[in-house]
Amino acid sequence: MNYPVWELFGLGGGTLIALVSVLHVYISHLAVGGGIFIWLTDRKALKENDSDLNDFLRRYNWVFLLVTMVLGGMTGVGIWWTISMVNPAGTSALIHNFVFGWAIEWVFFLGEIVALLVYHYYFDKLSRKTRLNIAFLYAFFAWMSLFIINGILSFMLTPGRWIETGNFWHGFLNPTYFSSLFFRTFITLMCAGIFAFLVGSYQKEEQVRTKVVRIGVQWLIIAMIGIVLTGAWYYFSVPEGIRNTTFSLNPQAGPFVTLIFVVTPLVLLLGLTFILKGSTSTKRFFAWLILIAGFVWMGSFEYIREIARKPYVIYGYMYSNGILVDEVDELNRTGFLMNSHWTRVRNVTYDRYAEAGEELFRLQCHACHTIGGRNDILTRTEIFPYRGLVAQLTGQGRTIPYMPPFAGTFMERDALATYIQSGLKGEEVVYGLPPADIIPVECEVPDYDASDGGYVLLVWNDLGMHCISDSDPYFVILPPANTLEAQLIRRGQTPQFVTEGVTLTYRVDEQYLDPASHVPFWEYEHENFGVELERNTGLTGAGLEGEFEAVEGKNSFQAHLIPVAPYPEDGGFNPYPQFTVEARNSETGEVLAWTRVIAPTSTEMGCLNCHGGEWRFEDKPGVGGETAQNILAAHDRINGTTLLDEALEGHPRLCQSCHADPALGAAGDPNVLNMSAAMHGWHANYIEVNTEEACQLCHPASPDGYTQCLRGIHNTMAVTCVDCHGTLAEHALSLLAHEQEKQASPILAEHLTVTNNRFNKDTISPRMPWLNEPDCLTCHREFERPPMMVSSANVWTSSPDQLYRMRTDSAGVRCEACHGPTHALYPAINIYSDDLDNMQPLQYQGEHFPIGSNYNCTVCHTMRPASSFHHPNTLRRFRNIDD
Amino acid sequence: MNPSAFIPTPDTIPAPWWVFEVLGVVTFLVHILFINVVFGGAILIIYSRVQNDHEANGTSILTSAISSKLPSIFALTVTFGVAPLLFLQVNYGHLFYSSSILLSWWWFIIIPFVILAYYGLYVHVKQAENRIKLSRAAIILAAELFLYIGFLWVNNNTLMIRPEHWQPIFEQRSWIPLHFGEPTLIPRWLHFICASIAIAGLFTSIVWNIRTGKAVEGAEHHIRTGLKIFAWSTIVQILAGFWWLIALPRPIMMQFMSHDILRTALLTLGILLAVSLLIQAFKGKLTGTIIHLAVIMVIMVTMRALLRASYLADYMRYSDLELNPQYDVLALFLIVFAAGLGAVWYMVKAVRNTETGRVEG
Repeated sequence: MNYPVWELFGLGGGTLIALVSVLHVYISHLAVGGGIFIWLTDRKALKENDSDLNDFLRRYNWVFLLVTMVLGGMTGVGIWWTISMVNPAGTSALIHNFVFGWAIEWVFFLGEIVALLVYHYYFDKLSRKTRLNIAFLYAFFAWMSLFIINGILSFMLTPGRWIETGNFWHGFLNPTYFSSLFFRTFITLMCAGIFAFLVGSYQKEEQVRTKVVRIGVQWLIIAMIGIVLTGAWYYFSVPEGIRNTTFSLNPQAGPFVTLIFVVTPLVLLLGLTFILKGSTSTKRFFAWLILIAGFVWMGSFEYIREIARKPYVIYGYMYSNGILVDEVDELNRTGFLMNSHWTRVRNVTYDRYAEAGEELFRLQCHACHTIGGRNDILTRTEIFPYRGLVAQLTGQGRTIPYMPPFAGTFMERDALATYIQSGLKGEEVVYGLPPADIIPVECEVPDYDASDGGYVLLVWNDLGMHCISDSDPYFVILPPANTLEAQLIRRGQTPQFVTEGVTLTYRVDEQYLDPASHVPFWEYEHENFGVELERNTGLTGAGLEGEFEAVEGKNSFQAHLIPVAPYPEDGGFNPYPQFTVEARNSETGEVLAWTRVIAPTSTEMGCLNCHGGEWRFEDKPGVGGETAQNILAAHDRINGTTLLDEALEGHPRLCQSCHADPALGAAGDPNVLNMSAAMHGWHANYIEVNTEEACQLCHPASPDGYTQCLRGIHNTMAVTCVDCHGTLAEHALSLLAHEQEKQASPILAEHLTVTNNRFNKDTISPRMPWLNEPDCLTCHREFERPPMMVSSANVWTSSPDQLYRMRTDSAGVRCEACHGPTHALYPAINIYSDDLDNMQPLQYQGEHFPIGSNYNCTVCHTMRPASSFHHPNTLRRFRNIDD
Repeated sequence: MNPSAFIPTPDTIPAPWWVFEVLGVVTFLVHILFINVVFGGAILIIYSRVQNDHEANGTSILTSAISSKLPSIFALTVTFGVAPLLFLQVNYGHLFYSSSILLSWWWFIIIPFVILAYYGLYVHVKQAENRIKLSRAAIILAAELFLYIGFLWVNNNTLMIRPEHWQPIFEQRSWIPLHFGEPTLIPRWLHFICASIAIAGLFTSIVWNIRTGKAVEGAEHHIRTGLKIFAWSTIVQILAGFWWLIALPRPIMMQFMSHDILRTALLTLGILLAVSLLIQAFKGKLTGTIIHLAVIMVIMVTMRALLRASYLADYMRYSDLELNPQYDVLALFLIVFAAGLGAVWYMVKAVRNTETGRVEG
């Protein structure tokens, strides 16, 4: 933002830094350890008057000088050079805080160079005592330079109190300073041991060779013991959050963690081979091998340390792309490009989206991602459609802690997504799914003559919409399982419920009798549900035609979990299959009443909006295989699961096998978030939209979608999802609040915000999905018209029997019996046929208003009652006619 | 667009700006002397080889005295280059990083080039007797690399103080983003090259002078030759200096020619001393030359710093750099520095005590 960006194309700045720094770090550790090695070995040579060792040291220090002073010294400058070009903001922050630290290190560096030159060029001319003093000085200066640089290095990972105070010493003597210092000191000894093997194995005289490699073995053993002990100390001195991110979450670290656990014992084992007798060439071979192993070890360690710092360059202070943590909010408000010095575009306009996006990519992403090379943005975003990219940019840095948040306005975010999608991937920028092609259906209202009718049969679907995840080969969230409920009322002056001596039957229309040929539920029910089912039979044994069962104490009947699917035999898509329901006298078989009802059911799950892939069919919804695989891959990556592999081996899973869910009666894993909390909690971080559009991305409620499941009077009156349930974030927060004891809950809730002015994050009411729902009476107080601008969010029904779908009026009539199911309250408008949802009001009263409303008492009452017995405010003209 | 819009916001500095200027100038003075010796030395070695002025074993008579010392001097060159580079980044980091990034690979490549040149110097010395061709190739390569590195430094040093030149380079995204639009580029580079040959010439004189005491044959002649090289190169350098002066933007040039007392005084004094220096050198007076040179070099590096300030007058005020003091750490540095110099002194004394006085590579 502050600086221009060095465009390294496929290579990436990180790789360049890694190349230079791993080489430098290996050699510089050798420079320290080797210094101590020279000093102690020289001391030994003097003490024991050992001319072999003396001769060895003369040769050793020449190679040592060539390697450490030239290559080591210059790559050290090289790191500086590289980081100042790749991450100038970070380098500047370090320089301006630690310039005197570096200046002190420079003094030690100067001392090191002079000492090494004197030691080498005057090896035989100096007195032994003076030479030993010089060796000591070299070792001292070298270790002191580690002492200093370690402060700055460890500061970057754990700046400690410096974040608040900005004090040099707080940063320098940070929480990992000492553990890192001792750990690195032992690493220097390991390097010295390894280098002793290398130079030692090239000594001509057998006795010198043996002597030196033995010293090497001693050094290596001490070093490795120290590395393991101080390594554990170092590991535990790193804050737990960083450890979790590095060792469990960030997939980039994984291979290197494994590598270091393999290479550590390998280095020791290779070193121990030097005790054994062997030919010179074998020893040399092993010396090179251990040198390489040491390099791999060093590279892995440094890489893990770098990864551990992600997404920061100075932990908690500055992100890898040079943006300060503290300035993100301001940038989100005022715009990133507006505040950038090196950009060709400052004001984002629609006609310069891609151009602005390119600038944003360079300035924010290129610090870690290349185009076509390391950490390739093309492969990382391959699966995402445009909407998915927007979601990714919204959510990054929230739930996945190893990426920084996108900094900038929504327009800038969209511009970046546009650039990636069209500029880099060459794909079309599509803002959503194409509008659905709706093929209308016939809707025939059954005849009814009130003068003949002794019975009124009211039937409804309990939820108003049941979704099916027809992704059975990969995972299942919801099986085909619609529930119809019914009440049979004998008309009269005082109407009566009929619950005995009658048989209620249901039968879906002909076109929907064979769902098994359209959804793969019956191929995987054993894997997903652990049951074997007959074709076209649901989880409760219900088929596409059958009998209702009486529900005790409810004056009603239920046909539970009918496995209906939205695919008619003629090949179209209709999420509103119609059923015929009849009530007969159980003894005589006489039809007492009959009606028609829909069982709303849809496979229009919007996963593909963000997760990519296509619908399962070319011309109609259904969760496609590619989408499902992408979802599992994401789940596996983030949670360390292996769901995709298992599914590909033929073992898909029911999501609720881990995520508890009252809808399916699934207990789940007690440590894992329940299904709704996990789904809404996770996705709310990626969808920063505070309107019903957020809901429509996943649920089948999009106004130009295939289902358009919101079809009741609320929809007509422009009451949206958000008015009852709260925004996606609020909805998620209430679900997460119920699960707050679980590890993931606070992580998912951290970045979510409440925008409703009636409550805040601290006063959010916890809710259990399906059981605690919006309460109609929150807005409709005393069954009256609600005031304007009202919201029922954050006030939930307290128990299952308080749910709208479970409640009854004072007479025991179920709310849904007269008002219709949730989300399709009478009078409803259905996109497939206007009155598809209103068949019973039309059948019994010729109007599509709720049963009995608008003075239609005579549907059940042969004589109009004088009072509002069912609930207040019933005896009146239907209100919305007046509106 | 206003060039200032490109200038990054500088970070706070931990001591007054002049502390870093002084530290930078002092350490740079040592660095430039050392690199002059190494680069100029390499050129002299190549020249004397071309002139066939060498003994049977291929070692040049004039330059044999210095060639073995070059790798070690280069080690010190790098060491003393690190310090001014560090201090430069405190006051000018925001400018220096920007120009470095604009120069991109051309700038980065300096690192592998320095490593190559460094090893080249070693190969030159170590193979001088056995593999003469390789040795010669190594020193030529090293000299070429130094030439390149010097050129890039001139590019960066001029680019970082000319934010008005940033936008075209940034927007063109050329494969050769060098600072060719800068009129002082070539004279500055020439100034460095001539200085290097001159200082290396002087250095050979000094080395041969030390040898005089040991009655080495022909030492006197070589001292004079070295001084001649020094003097003639200095004349060319003075001309390059004038070119540089007139290539400066006019307002800045005029600051050195009467508009600013300090700058004018320093330039005048420098020129007068240079004349005197040349007389000393042509007369073969080594000590006088060294004393003159020491004063002139201090004047030159000071002028260099002042020139930078003149260029940047429109873009930054030193007093605007926000101070967030760390005087305790500064004090610690000065103590460590003094102690470090003490340790170096101890080591130098130890070397002198060996009484050989001869350094071999």
